[in-house]
Amino acid sequence: MKGQEWYQADDVAEEYDDKRFSKGGQLIDRREKQAVLEAIMPVEDRNILEIACGTGRFTVMLAEQGADVVGLDISAAMLQQGRTKAQRADLAGTLEFLRGDAGRLPFPDDHFDTVIAMRFFHLADDPEAFLREMRRVSRDQIVFDTFNRFSARSVYNWALPMGSRLYSKSEVSELLAKANLTLVDVEDDFLVPYGLYRSIPNGLASPIRTVDTAIGGNAVTDHFASVSYWNTRLR
Amino acid sequence: MKESLLDILRCPLDKHELELEDATYDESADGDSDDSNGEDAAEVVDGTLVCAECGERYPVEDGIPNLLPPDMREESPA
Repeated sequence: MKGQEWYQADDVAEEYDDKRFSKGGQLIDRREKQAVLEAIMPVEDRNILEIACGTGRFTVMLAEQGADVVGLDISAAMLQQGRTKAQRADLAGTLEFLRGDAGRLPFPDDHFDTVIAMRFFHLADDPEAFLREMRRVSRDQIVFDTFNRFSARSVYNWALPMGSRLYSKSEVSELLAKANLTLVDVEDDFLVPYGLYRSIPNGLASPIRTVDTAIGGNAVTDHFASVSYWNTRLR
Repeated sequence: MKESLLDILRCPLDKHELELEDATYDESADGDSDDSNGEDAAEVVDGTLVCAECGERYPVEDGIPNLLPPDMREESPA
């Protein structure tokens, strides 16, 4: 797995939310949460596992909405951030965090209704194996995102601390077929890559985002979208 | 972690059930709230999870169980 040391450092965990999801990053945060909610709703009383939950952005949101959530991550520092966030939140469901390896999940077969993995597959060295393991512990649904090849993402990819793996649509389709998953829905977004949004203030990010959403959303430009959200079900 | 989490945790190596040993509980964790299921609602802050089959041991560190397989754990500073 790429960038493991960087990701697990205490100072990186402490600044993670501020660095990534303040300023223009708020737009990304909101869009990702919307994608997850749209795919899973209604979440009440649903058993949900999040792989690579980081500081708990999605796990806390889902537990607030009444889901019973388990967040798994490799980094103790990130999980402590999530634990603190959860203690301050008003949770309608339950939320537990644990350290573990996404490739060898510490759960029985078919336990969760939904397994989600956001911002995970671009770091996966063996996506097929990870998807297979996610499928083993899910009995209904798997939701994840990918960063796309042939997009603006390709251009600045080299500058990232962790590097990242880009996927074409056909690669993902093949992965789904191999894991015996059916595609329910895929949404494409962000012609402009995340890195640009993160680096600029909200006042500037909003108008750029307006143009981004106006141009995006048709078959031609979606081909160049930098992110895809995949909603799949077990066959 | 809540003690009830044990119901769904398995050894990452052989997927067998785990047993909790040497548990320390957080006394302050909402004991006076509406949790009616007693022990299961108790917050475990420290302890060891032991695989009933292979005997592999997994620590609970600051309330978070570490179920990384042995080959992925960082070297502990002795």
